[in-house]
Amino acid sequence: MISTIAQIALREWKRILTRPDHCLVLLVLPPLLFFFYAYIYNKEQAEDLPIAIWDEDHSPVSRQIAFMLEQTSSIHIAAQAGSQQEMEQLMQQQKIIGAVHFPKGMETDIKSRHPVHVSIYSNAASLVPGKLVYKDASTVLITAGAGVNLQKMMKTGMPEGKAMSLIMPVKLTVYPLYNPAYNYQHYLVPGLITVTLQMMIIMVAVLLINMEWKEGTMEALCALAGNSAGAIVTGKTIAHLTVSWVNYVLITGIIFPYFGLSHPGTGPQLFLLFNLLALACIGIGLMISVLAADVMLALDTGLFYTSPAFVFSGFTFPRWGMPWYDQYYANLMPYTPFLDAFFKLYFMEIPLKYAMPEITRLLLFIGFTFFVAVFFLQIKMNKSVKHAAVTP
Amino acid sequence: MPPLRHSLLLREVQRIAKDHSLLLTLLIAPLLYAFFYGSIYSYKTEEEVPICVVDDDHSGLSRLLVQQINNTQMVHVAAVTSLDAAKESMYRGETQGFLYLQKDLEKKVLSLQQADMVLAVNAARFLPSSDVMGTITQVGLTVGAGVRLQYLQKKGMNSEAAMQEVMPIKPDFHPLFNTRVDYGTFLIPGLLAMILQQTLLLGLSGGTAAERQQNTIGQWARAAGNHLSAALWGKGAFYFILFAVYAFFFLTVNFGILDIPLRGNVWELALVTAIFLLSLIPMGIFIGLCFRSQLLCTQIMAFSTYPIFLITGYSWPIQQLPEPLKLLSATLPITPFISLYQGITQQGAGITDRMPVMLHLCALWLGYTLICLLRMKRTFRNIA
Repeated sequence: MISTIAQIALREWKRILTRPDHCLVLLVLPPLLFFFYAYIYNKEQAEDLPIAIWDEDHSPVSRQIAFMLEQTSSIHIAAQAGSQQEMEQLMQQQKIIGAVHFPKGMETDIKSRHPVHVSIYSNAASLVPGKLVYKDASTVLITAGAGVNLQKMMKTGMPEGKAMSLIMPVKLTVYPLYNPAYNYQHYLVPGLITVTLQMMIIMVAVLLINMEWKEGTMEALCALAGNSAGAIVTGKTIAHLTVSWVNYVLITGIIFPYFGLSHPGTGPQLFLLFNLLALACIGIGLMISVLAADVMLALDTGLFYTSPAFVFSGFTFPRWGMPWYDQYYANLMPYTPFLDAFFKLYFMEIPLKYAMPEITRLLLFIGFTFFVAVFFLQIKMNKSVKHAAVTP
Repeated sequence: MPPLRHSLLLREVQRIAKDHSLLLTLLIAPLLYAFFYGSIYSYKTEEEVPICVVDDDHSGLSRLLVQQINNTQMVHVAAVTSLDAAKESMYRGETQGFLYLQKDLEKKVLSLQQADMVLAVNAARFLPSSDVMGTITQVGLTVGAGVRLQYLQKKGMNSEAAMQEVMPIKPDFHPLFNTRVDYGTFLIPGLLAMILQQTLLLGLSGGTAAERQQNTIGQWARAAGNHLSAALWGKGAFYFILFAVYAFFFLTVNFGILDIPLRGNVWELALVTAIFLLSLIPMGIFIGLCFRSQLLCTQIMAFSTYPIFLITGYSWPIQQLPEPLKLLSATLPITPFISLYQGITQQGAGITDRMPVMLHLCALWLGYTLICLLRMKRTFRNIA
């Protein structure tokens, strides 16, 4: 039995290396795409986003605040606006992503103890840069306001410490854990790579059985396997699992270290999780391949099933913000439990026990899909043998 | 010429009707994807992000803080618990962080000493962590302003004067073109444009590759009277009509259901969409002619979706891309299209506001038409 499985695995390796629809997807595309994803976010953070200053005050205070805005990492003052209309037009022409308005008489109002409203405009149709501009601009304005209060209080003879405690009675210290710099490359690239990898495995696995029937090589494969569906599925799975290890080495041995995305010490846990994802994807692909005889239909099914995995998994938009039916659908994809566990083991670097619920779900995927694949393949093979026996 | 194109259009309809894969890609996938993807963001924004609170103060002020945080739309205080339990809850993925309120918080505030609270958020997930951070910062500032107000009133200042003193510079946030700053309003228009492009490219390139695989290129050329332009636009006419209908459907039905505003001029949008589709058609045929197998073409094109979307400038500013990727992005019709489309639909901009972008799109239309015709010429000659 072991030698049969080894022969089937060897046969499958040959197919992987010689068939373009296997080789290109499993061995050529991964390095190209993985490098591409990491390269997109090589700058790691969005910086120097262009904004306009709409200064109706033209005072030293407005110039000082503008200077402070320019010192932030995300803001670059690229234009001056004279009115709201002009500012909106600059946004529509894509020359700026936001603007800050200093009203007329701002400095006088501050000195005469009248509160001043400084407006921050951002193009919220471009969410990421718009939010960054707002965050940095509001921080500058809050700091400037605190500075004004501090000066006022100290002028009354209040000690600095007491004045500070009045300005900010409860000081908030924030620890953004696991990605303190909000580095986009660290955040998105591992997710994009793993979601693409699961897509690659499934998109090839959907061709594993039906292609054999279509090209007339199933008879020889059945003979090699001694008419055992279990042996065929096991042999092919071993071949594809070992090929996925090549991609695991590519990811963790080349891409992650090259772009500084490695999390030392997570290797063994990540390898286990990666294998479970690969097995779940091979299982799903095999199941589709056994059930759908039409190769193109199987490929389309695999494509429609896997391509939404990134957005449904909750990577960019949390699942709890989705309607219940979308949350339900998300749970039908192996990438969803994988991602939850990946967050824990890779990003958070916490022990394996915290990922046990997700690992259990992946094991259920594997158990169910392989059972269906073997069961229906055996039925099809038995029918084929019977058909061959009655055909003269 | 028109009768030829008419016959090519009918030929294309017949080919698609016979091919299950093309039927699925061209007739079912665009609508299914549009509703499927759109529904994810139908609530537009996340709410009630769960966090734990570790309250070592157990005072009136700490309880007020917790209550104020829990009253916000964005944050839900899942439990007031110990530090270990809060960490455990975050490790299990049940909460997205925890807020620690130090002992003697109220006492310190009342004695005009600065008190501390510490927020730890799981920044491995960007959206929930930044939303929690923003909300709790806001609550902290509000509480601080309240403390200053009470202090000034106790010093004998009347309420109106004290209110003026509390915040000398008040930032007013005006998010333009997406007033709720929600994720759905931002992402859905881009996703719909992407669905339009990818299903068209998948179907058209797959169908063209199938022509090579089934050796029907000669038949295609003959039906077009061996006229390259007629062959290109005769085949493309079907896709243009079908995807123009989809575009209209997305902009009316999907935008309507998902409550996405359409702020600009619809005729300008129609013109931009038409040129976009006209540039995708030669691009799709060109890609298809590079493959001998429909299956391989579909496989490879399936992996183009994410890379293309990520370099269009929609989710990540083009200015932040490395130079080679900026160049690559400029060769894709969706890059200028998405800029024009987003400008018109979301920002009420006109074509004249983004004339260089419009010229860019037109140049790509001409460029792809040219390279497609050259590729077709070579393929037709080889067949002949």
